[in-house]
Amino acid sequence: MEKFVIFLGMALATYLTRYTMIAALRQETPALLQRWLRYVPVALLAALIVPAALAPQGCLEIGLRAWAVLAGSLVAWRTRNVLWTILGGLAVFWLFRILGV
Amino acid sequence: MNVWRDKDFKQGILASAAPSPGVVAFGLLYGVMARKMGFSPWEAWAMSLIVHAGSAQFTILSMWATVGALPIILTTLVVNLRHLLMGASVVPYLRGLHPFWKAFLALWMSDESYALAIAKYRQGRGSHWYFLGANVGIYLAWSTSGLLGALLGAAIPDPGRYGLDLVFPLGFLGLLTALLQDRTGTAVALAAGGLALLGALLLPGQGTVVVAGMLGSGVGLLLEQVMGRK
Repeated sequence: MEKFVIFLGMALATYLTRYTMIAALRQETPALLQRWLRYVPVALLAALIVPAALAPQGCLEIGLRAWAVLAGSLVAWRTRNVLWTILGGLAVFWLFRILGV
Repeated sequence: MNVWRDKDFKQGILASAAPSPGVVAFGLLYGVMARKMGFSPWEAWAMSLIVHAGSAQFTILSMWATVGALPIILTTLVVNLRHLLMGASVVPYLRGLHPFWKAFLALWMSDESYALAIAKYRQGRGSHWYFLGANVGIYLAWSTSGLLGALLGAAIPDPGRYGLDLVFPLGFLGLLTALLQDRTGTAVALAAGGLALLGALLLPGQGTVVVAGMLGSGVGLLLEQVMGRK
């Protein structure tokens, strides 16, 4: 039972972060802020990707994961397709594993 | 509810299939880990259904046994701070929407559904029904795979061995390319990625994603100014 109370607390904390800006920001946000916010999605996604590829354990590691994500970047750039990107990256990961790179 | 909107909702759900492999792989991993930390499958499922925040849930699992309720809730808050930025950046597209809709869209806004929705909005074909559809699709994928992972539990030896954790950043890569339109965008991605890497190496915790996101997008604004583009 105690677990569920904590879950609810976590849900509340999560909702707070998701809703606060949507509720608080007026529709007439300053133009400068709007232009800055336009770059936010790209910046956030990149900030999630790079550490997962190059430092999965918190220390720099140019290994299989880095190569797989590099290959994935090429596929993503050429195809702009999520599924091909995932398959391409995984294919390189498995190939390099089998080859023992 | 008219037919057009209904169509958008279905489209949103269908579109969420693209990043779903990443969500499902991550969800399976979460379920397996939750079992290892002593959660029952139902508890693991409940956490996904109630909290619906992948990286926060993952972070919490690693500290569950050692800390109390308050640090857990505070950590959830910190890990999810990036949603503040996400929320701020969708505001221009939610113009004129009923407050109920805004509150409802915020409820299940995930990294993936947010990326799908905002890409669609920028093509001029977005709508709140599409956004909702993407939210619901990702919510279903995340919660179901979490339960599945927890039920399979011991049968999945070590998902990391098969590179399944990679599906997550790879899925984000695919979503990212849908949003890249020009060189400024590419520069922003490189700057934010580099900063996040630096942060991950030098600082503990996940708060660095937010800082990298803010500074990285600031780089875009700066480049705009320098190159004199509007």
